[in-house]
Amino acid sequence: MRRLAATALIAAFLAVQGMGPVLAHHGWSWTTGGNIQLTGLIKTVKLGNPHGVLTVDAEGEIWTVEVGQPWRNARAGLKPGDLAEGVEVRIIGEPSSNIEDRLVKAEEIFISGKRYDLYPGRD
Amino acid sequence: MEGIFGFVEALAPIQALRFSRWGYAAVNTGHVLAIALLVGGSVPLALRLFGFWPAVPRAAVARILSVTAGAGLVLALLTGSLLFATRATEYAANPAFQFKIALVALGAVSTVLAVNRYGRDMEGASDAAARRAAVISLACWVGALVSGRLIAFVQG
Repeated sequence: MRRLAATALIAAFLAVQGMGPVLAHHGWSWTTGGNIQLTGLIKTVKLGNPHGVLTVDAEGEIWTVEVGQPWRNARAGLKPGDLAEGVEVRIIGEPSSNIEDRLVKAEEIFISGKRYDLYPGRD
Repeated sequence: MEGIFGFVEALAPIQALRFSRWGYAAVNTGHVLAIALLVGGSVPLALRLFGFWPAVPRAAVARILSVTAGAGLVLALLTGSLLFATRATEYAANPAFQFKIALVALGAVSTVLAVNRYGRDMEGASDAAARRAAVISLACWVGALVSGRLIAFVQG
């Protein structure tokens, strides 16, 4: 029975391990620590808790852009409708350390020249 | 299924929760408290069923911890349903979420079966049966906690 217990726990661990690419959303541990800049047109918008997600077409490359949760976006000055399909945005943020993911966590968003800072004080 | 998930996401109170700061924080915190009660109750109960602390009567341990874990499970299902509803389509497609729900279902069904068979405090269970229940319980509830935490780290 002790062996059964060990086997069950190892099996559960392996099953979790095998669940596919690990792609963190929270925190910054999965990003490179450096910033990139991305300019493109918003294709899709999904806002709300736990955080908002945009897809942005940057010269034919589709990027996933994580923006803040509602209070963070509002604090940065973003109003409902600012992040909308077809809007041109410039994003400064940290990309996933695996660049193939085409995933970036936005720190600053620029819309028609106006700057919205999601993480004031962070480089 | 997709249609149901979309419908649930669009409900007015769910939309309100999705865009609320403190409402979402409260439900989230409730879910953490629920998991603390569920795992905090079921782990020591499983260890007792497995054979730890033989001097402490099994039924006495089961009486307290089964209520603790059961209350945790009910609260987890309530708060978890709300959290799920805010992003139903996305969570339903997430492999960590699917694995977690399978473990929760397995844990709940095996608990109901064990209680039906051996009594609420497992008084009718042989040592071997109690150990079997303990292993299933540990694997399901600890596994559900781990895979639940991984939802945020795995892409659907």
